[in-house]
Amino acid sequence: MRFDRYEDRANLADALEQMKAKGFSYLEKITAVDYKDHMEALYFLVDIEKNENELIKVRLENSSLWLPTVMELFKSADWYEREMAEMFGITIRGRKTERLLLEKWDGIDPPLRKSFVWGQEYRNREQKG
Amino acid sequence: MQITRINIGPIHPSTHGVLRLIVDLDGDTIEKVEPHIGFLHRGVEKLVENRMYMQNHVYMEKMDYVAPLAVDELYVATVEEAMGIEVKERAQYIRTIELELQRIASHLFFIGTLCNDIGNLFTVFIWCFADRDRVLRLLETATGSRMFYANMRLGGVKQDFPKGFEEDVLDCMDYIEKRTKEYERFLEKNPIFMERMKNVGILSSEDAIEYGISGPTLRASGIDYDTRKNHPYYAYEKASFSTQVLSRGDSFARYKIRVMEIRESINVIRLAFKKMPEGDAIGMPVKLVPPPIKKNEVIVRRELPRGENMMYMVADKKGPYRLAMRSAIFVSMAALDHIARGHKLADLFAIMGSLDFVMADVDK
Repeated sequence: MRFDRYEDRANLADALEQMKAKGFSYLEKITAVDYKDHMEALYFLVDIEKNENELIKVRLENSSLWLPTVMELFKSADWYEREMAEMFGITIRGRKTERLLLEKWDGIDPPLRKSFVWGQEYRNREQKG
Repeated sequence: MQITRINIGPIHPSTHGVLRLIVDLDGDTIEKVEPHIGFLHRGVEKLVENRMYMQNHVYMEKMDYVAPLAVDELYVATVEEAMGIEVKERAQYIRTIELELQRIASHLFFIGTLCNDIGNLFTVFIWCFADRDRVLRLLETATGSRMFYANMRLGGVKQDFPKGFEEDVLDCMDYIEKRTKEYERFLEKNPIFMERMKNVGILSSEDAIEYGISGPTLRASGIDYDTRKNHPYYAYEKASFSTQVLSRGDSFARYKIRVMEIRESINVIRLAFKKMPEGDAIGMPVKLVPPPIKKNEVIVRRELPRGENMMYMVADKKGPYRLAMRSAIFVSMAALDHIARGHKLADLFAIMGSLDFVMADVDK
């Protein structure tokens, strides 16, 4: 399996549509990785009949963290996009804003970003008393 | 038409954890279901980034507490892949047997809770839990713990099977095999059970793929995809077992396929014991300094009792830089609205029971 297939954000929807037409109709997961100086969004695709897997990466600069929605292509993208938006603070364009899926409180840093220090929020609160 | 909106949960006996459902009803018919998840969200993906490799693996078991050994094995396999560690031949068989025992225990749990969910079949619940306990006792003999085993080590397992374990397992498997037939006889002649399961919650094969469903639920919808066959690992490469596929895609098919899988697991265990080689199976002790990383990015897929789980890891020196987990039932939960629409409210729990949720794994 290749780890180096990058697509441009503008081409993402087209690339996924082409892959779907080729037989990669099963979207396994969407997630992201924060590399501090940039982020990468990952789309895992599966061709069930041929038993092949494909990983498509999208490089996102820190200054423009947004992605187009792919919900029209894959229904399973719905919750994954919401999860990613919530955990990484990546805006998904082309869908209406919905309530948070996993967390209760809005307004804190997206937790899976590297800038979010684990336990810091709690320590701050303790210092304040 | 007047829509009534009702709230179910977060604490409800049939939600298998903490789950809140907002259901829109037209009379007694479901118009829309909106699951509110996240009550058990612990931020596991963040927590593992702050710990070292082998500190994490105990934590992984709490992901899916009905099949902890399987999640643990998936994580350890991911780390092994990143470090380029080969699993010892005997340990591969031990892992296979333990994974299948775990699958049987998990499916027995499923049958029990399903019967509890649909109403008045508490007898089967008690039977299944008593039988599951026999399997758990076997796992306890093999690993030293009843629920959270922590038995996987890099390159092998913590401890080999004790003496006389094979006979115990094979005896128990004969018993479980007999019992599955008893369950079938008991349930499939029961008009209430059949009425509530047949033609309820149909998921077509196209929708199953579209929603990204996997595991027994996908196979009950007629798609022959099993990670044990499609990306074989351990003894599954050598053991000749068949995947179970049904085509109807209703709640009954989802129940039936798990009963069939229990029997297939029993076959795998018998076969694995026959082929198991002698030798060393003990893995590396839990050191604070793990071997160096060879691959920077790894993907490992495993067929867990609830479906295909996947881990994608960006490896760092000491611990994972990022560990993304795909949980099979997270996706089933997203598809619940689609499956339940148009059914009566009472069927919602039959459908939910047949999808086999464990909320800790959904929420992460």
